[in-house]
Amino acid sequence: MPSLIAIFIIPTLIILINLLLSKLKWTGLKLSAILIWVELISVLIILKPVFMENSIHYYHGFLIDKIGAYFIILTSLITAVCITHSYFFFIQESKNNPKISFTQIQTFYILAILFFISMLLVFMCDNLGYLWINIELTTLLSAGLVYFYRSKHALEATWKYFIICSVGIAFALLGTILIYASSKTFSIEGTLNISELIEQAPFLNFNFFKFGFIFCLLGYGTKAGIFPLHSWLPDAHSEAPAPASALLSACLLNCALFALLRIYSIGELIRHCDFMQHLLIGVGCLTIFAASLFLIHQHGLKRLWAYSSIENVGLMLVAIGIGSPILFFLQALNHALAKTSLFLLSGNIIQITNSKELKDIRGLIKFSPSLSILLILSSLAITGTPPFGSFISEILLLTKLLSFNFMLPAIIIIVALTICFIAVFVHVGRITLGQPKQNWIKLNNFQFNLMPSLLISISLYLGFIINSDYFRGMY
Amino acid sequence: MNITDFFALGSACFGILMLGSVNLRLNLFLYSLQTLFMALATINQSFKQVNIEMYFICIFIIALKALFIPYFLNNVLNKIDIQYDSNVMIPTAIGMHISILFLGISQLLSDKIIQSMPSIDSIGGVTAAISLLFTGILFMLLRKIAISQIIGFLTLENGIFIFGVSITKGLPLIVDLGVLLDLLVAIMIAGLFVFRIKSSFEHIDVTQLNELHEN
Repeated sequence: MPSLIAIFIIPTLIILINLLLSKLKWTGLKLSAILIWVELISVLIILKPVFMENSIHYYHGFLIDKIGAYFIILTSLITAVCITHSYFFFIQESKNNPKISFTQIQTFYILAILFFISMLLVFMCDNLGYLWINIELTTLLSAGLVYFYRSKHALEATWKYFIICSVGIAFALLGTILIYASSKTFSIEGTLNISELIEQAPFLNFNFFKFGFIFCLLGYGTKAGIFPLHSWLPDAHSEAPAPASALLSACLLNCALFALLRIYSIGELIRHCDFMQHLLIGVGCLTIFAASLFLIHQHGLKRLWAYSSIENVGLMLVAIGIGSPILFFLQALNHALAKTSLFLLSGNIIQITNSKELKDIRGLIKFSPSLSILLILSSLAITGTPPFGSFISEILLLTKLLSFNFMLPAIIIIVALTICFIAVFVHVGRITLGQPKQNWIKLNNFQFNLMPSLLISISLYLGFIINSDYFRGMY
Repeated sequence: MNITDFFALGSACFGILMLGSVNLRLNLFLYSLQTLFMALATINQSFKQVNIEMYFICIFIIALKALFIPYFLNNVLNKIDIQYDSNVMIPTAIGMHISILFLGISQLLSDKIIQSMPSIDSIGGVTAAISLLFTGILFMLLRKIAISQIIGFLTLENGIFIFGVSITKGLPLIVDLGVLLDLLVAIMIAGLFVFRIKSSFEHIDVTQLNELHEN
């Protein structure tokens, strides 16, 4: 069907502009920033039929259902915001650091758009094999984004990211093979097609599926940053340039979790699925709790937000575990909005102060009041404070959890969220209050606050429009 | 023992021999042989089922994984001028014995798997697959040099492939090709990073990449 290909026309155009018309220099990047918003509008138009008919099969092995469409729109929005912000970000970055060549910035743009395409493909897959291929592709393409600064630290972070995620994803392939084997009981051919697997779920070989699920959780969990396997995440997020950190945190983590959602949607139809549910909720709670403890002692600004992402991954895992895709999406949406804003603002702060260390950043409110207010608002949004959207999604998650009689996980989540709130605000308080240093660089407030304030207003707006009636029957 | 089992277990043996050597070129050669034997086992199995798709996959595997990747990594070794991975965590002989122990454990595990799925006919294939998985992980854990990490990863990937072939008669053609392509790109990128690590750190010992940490 032509409409699915239409989604990829504009990204291809942007890549071609940056690749072939490299003489345009900054104009080319400006053009990319405008085109990516056209892409967001075209995605909205193309996906409109999906909301009318629930789900649409495209080619064999590709399908967009409602939840996939939501995620495609979210990913497009975040990419549009990040690409637009990168224009301002890189202008300042090349002033601060003359070593950065223009080719490097162009490569960043090309890789970011390719990365965007591979993430969109993840949400369209109806086949576990294609899903795996696309998730591995996201790793390969985003490694170049993390390595942007070409420094020793960037190299170390990239190597860890690349090797740990590749090995993790290899285990997910093993899990995929086991799920394929489990489907061999009802037909000789076997299938990897997710909709067929859902139809045949009661006939799957339970033992094989169980092990397949565990390996997939291990594999895709590594990519999502679940607790004992998260070690690459803070390094990669803190060493990448700010727009790339935002993309990694707000979009890439969702991709890996989306794969788990797809696999669990088969698993929950199998009779003895309690074990998988408990595993997901248990791992989720462990991740939330561990991340909240890591948040207390932090030395890096972006590492702080990286651990907060890990905490949100835990919340999303719990949402998947209670079998509620819409809550998973809500949490992902609110997390993505606030976290993108935070990473972009942190990028600005690092450009102002020329340091990633929390101890060097003091007295921001005296130096740049607008930036500090946005930072405080975004931190409120990420910690789930009313009236922001994340409060609604977290409270819905907790009520849903309690309605299933999961008392202990609910208590752990509440305690961990409280620790997170306190830890984040101790750090944010130290950043904003105090006496600023003299040698800081002044930035253009309007340009640098444009995208974060857009995201924060969307998050605030969501806080007012979402209520349980809105999602009645959907979650 | 049929021929499929012979080739599959042969491939597992080459995996174990890899642990016994610190010469990186020898490791690459053994990896190449291991992949070749794996492909031969697959061809032999598909010969029985007249599975034409698998022949294509095997041709690609021999061309890319058994010939091109070792050739590429050998070039990388030439350029960075490193011969030996002298700094292993435990003596190579002990590493080899551990992996032989794992071969025994794999036999037990594959027995369990076969019991739950009677349609599998090649117990050797499953044993070899699990053994290669263990060997690959062990190789990555025991060796410190970036190139060894890549070889360990490739061995792990071989284990997963042969596991897929023995218990499911192979994934669909397009998925297998996609996986192979992803792997190829991953190895090329990893090779590039090895260059970068060598030129900025003047060594490729990944355990010394530890500047980023908590507090």
